[in-house]
Amino acid sequence: MEVLDNLMLGFSVAVSPMHLLYALIGVLLGTLIGVLPGVGPVATIAMLLPITFNLSPVAALIMLAGIYYGAQYGGSTSAILVNLPGETASVVTCLDGYQMARQGRAGPALAISAIGSFFAGCCATLIIALAAPPLAEVALKFGPAEYFSLMVLGLVAATVLAHGSLVKAIAMVVLGLLLGLIGTDVNSGVLRFTFGIPELSDGIGFAVVAMGMFGVAEIIGNLELKDKREVFTSNVKGLFPTVDDFKRSWKAILRGTALGSFLGILPGGGSILAAFGAYTLEKKMSKNPERFGKGAIEGVAAPESANNAGAQTSFIPMLTLGIPGNAVMALMIGALMIQGIAPGPQVMNEKPELFWGLIASMWIGNFFLVVLNLPLIGMWIKLLTVPYRYLYPSILVFMAIGVYSLSNNPFDLVVMAVFGLLGYICVKLECEPAPMILGFILGPLMEENLRRAMLLSRGDPFVFVSPSKPISLGFLIASAVLLVIVMLPALRKKREEVFVEDAT
Amino acid sequence: MRRAVLAAALAAASSLAFAQAWPSRPVQIVVPYAAGGPVDVSARIVAPKLQQAFGQPFVVENRPGAGGNIGADFVAKAAPDGHTLLMGAIATHAINPTLYPKIPYDPVRDFRHVTLLIQVPNVLVVNNDLPVRSVKDLIDYARKNPGKLDFASGSTGSTGHLAGELFKQLTGTYMVHIPYKGSAPATADLFAGRVHLMFDNLASALPSIRTGKVRGIAVTTLQRSGFVKDLPTLHESGLKDFDLTTWWGIMAPGKTPDAVVEQLAAELARVMQQADVRERFAAMGSDGPSVRTPREFTAFVERELRTYAGLVKRSGASVD
Repeated sequence: MEVLDNLMLGFSVAVSPMHLLYALIGVLLGTLIGVLPGVGPVATIAMLLPITFNLSPVAALIMLAGIYYGAQYGGSTSAILVNLPGETASVVTCLDGYQMARQGRAGPALAISAIGSFFAGCCATLIIALAAPPLAEVALKFGPAEYFSLMVLGLVAATVLAHGSLVKAIAMVVLGLLLGLIGTDVNSGVLRFTFGIPELSDGIGFAVVAMGMFGVAEIIGNLELKDKREVFTSNVKGLFPTVDDFKRSWKAILRGTALGSFLGILPGGGSILAAFGAYTLEKKMSKNPERFGKGAIEGVAAPESANNAGAQTSFIPMLTLGIPGNAVMALMIGALMIQGIAPGPQVMNEKPELFWGLIASMWIGNFFLVVLNLPLIGMWIKLLTVPYRYLYPSILVFMAIGVYSLSNNPFDLVVMAVFGLLGYICVKLECEPAPMILGFILGPLMEENLRRAMLLSRGDPFVFVSPSKPISLGFLIASAVLLVIVMLPALRKKREEVFVEDAT
Repeated sequence: MRRAVLAAALAAASSLAFAQAWPSRPVQIVVPYAAGGPVDVSARIVAPKLQQAFGQPFVVENRPGAGGNIGADFVAKAAPDGHTLLMGAIATHAINPTLYPKIPYDPVRDFRHVTLLIQVPNVLVVNNDLPVRSVKDLIDYARKNPGKLDFASGSTGSTGHLAGELFKQLTGTYMVHIPYKGSAPATADLFAGRVHLMFDNLASALPSIRTGKVRGIAVTTLQRSGFVKDLPTLHESGLKDFDLTTWWGIMAPGKTPDAVVEQLAAELARVMQQADVRERFAAMGSDGPSVRTPREFTAFVERELRTYAGLVKRSGASVD
């Protein structure tokens, strides 16, 4: 068994005391920055790059990887406790996690997200060990046409399943799409909706929007309540999940892990898409979907598993092809370059101790994380007893630091404030921000891939449904089926709400 | 008149004082791109070395946006006391001034060009399934199959794009430009064969060439690269004077005193001789820069600016 030999080699590298220490430092730092809203792994890893000079390449990579997946763990904490997506991928966790916290069930929410993440992390690590090279080939099968069709499916699923105020949900998706148009057109280089502001020429940052729409809006909303401000601690019902919670969650964790592992391999925002996808899927599968958005534990378990699995498998294209799927992976490649290692397909063969050591350390790091995070839950809950008048200024300060650190530009703070106001108005109008965020993520990707596919096919629109592109065809058929389901009036009653977040 | 003289004298005196005191506080090296790219990495390689030499922290700060213009503009307008430096690059100082209709800084007058750190060739790589093994093959193939070939690039107006347009002009062939958001997704489509070729940065293409994921055809510089000696240049393959190199280096605001510039340049020259720095720069595909002094660097920037003004205009690329 070559894989076993390789894994043995990996573990022999990863369990050396120094490497254990670096894995621990990495996941600790990662948890911390994940909890802090806005301060993301990209800024942290960039700051730590010079420190990795003096480390061996394996130690450097182990630590940096720990920061990355540690941040995915930590990100859920602030999402659940204060409705703040600490990490971009934990936007979805806000939906049900925060509602659980409002019902005094922050403990179970935190615990299930840690357990789900651990399970997902272990599975994804195994997947990398067993099948990284063939999976990288699968990722290569995704060209512009396939991406476009996948996004169509995602968008149709989101809007079609939305209900209650379908019009408002669609309006929010469209608003997201429009906001996504801001910036430089990839094909022609034309600047769209930038109004002569150079900071807008690369579009608005996703983290800035999410932080404003969720975090700032939540704070404004809370301040308005004056005396009735919510205290979550008065009715804390146990720190750990009940048997019933586990019964509800395990399937969600499994499905989330599967979806996350797959979408993580695809470059470009894989883990965010994975979280959205897992949530939508769970709601669709659920027998009583009306619980979602009102503190359904599956709504925490699925996206948290998915984003952690996605975070791990996003290493696959970087390690096997030298192609970074996201900004963090680009930094990893930078870290390798500093070490004088040219990242690419040869790393696996020429430096097996690096490749397998990293994989083994991921499993160890995930173990550290769950051991670290479960006891911390009690402490996090205590944090909620901090009076709001102290809590909210600190949250605002951390958000400001985080957003500033994204590109060291004060302009981003203004944008966050604007979106905070917009978010507040949306809350008042009972328009949920989640569909907007989805439109904002998917819109630009869809457009880019649509136009690239059309360029490559020299303007032939049938490229999306041609038998030579079965993946694309499959996604489009699935989208059409989903649409038909909603069109049929008989089935209309069954239409479910995906994005209704308001528990009142 | 007397006031002007006085002011000049004061300025000279204060710049002298600055020079003696420099660096009197932490120095900021602004990287006008996101963290993790080669420009950022090279800044983070030299920063600790400068910190050691000058006894003040050298902090790398990423100010990405608008193709690097935001970071470059920030440094152009920063206090010219040597405490704010820029990693200026071919984009910010040669391509963007023509590519963008309005640019808030003058790439020559608003900067002191201190030291050119890195020059990396682009390399013409093709997908393995394309029946092309040389530049001549490619030209023949393109002529026999007009409009069939696609070339990918990291963005409109990138060196990869401009190299492709120059290639089309010099050979009279037609290929479709497929722009991506960064060279990573472009590379993925090249591996998969959805696009046929790319003029990629040597450092990122080298591993895939060595492992046979793609086929290297030629380099875009006048001289062959020490890293792929067997690859001919486009120039020697019949495309006369085809010369395109991605470069970046340390710059300072335009009114930075000579003393500071010289001190910094001298130290950077020493740093670049150190074995570990050379090794790390080599990993980025750099054979070592062709110009050494600040004066040569300024002349180099002026030359590049002229070259790319012509190239960008003829390519029809623009951002507005």
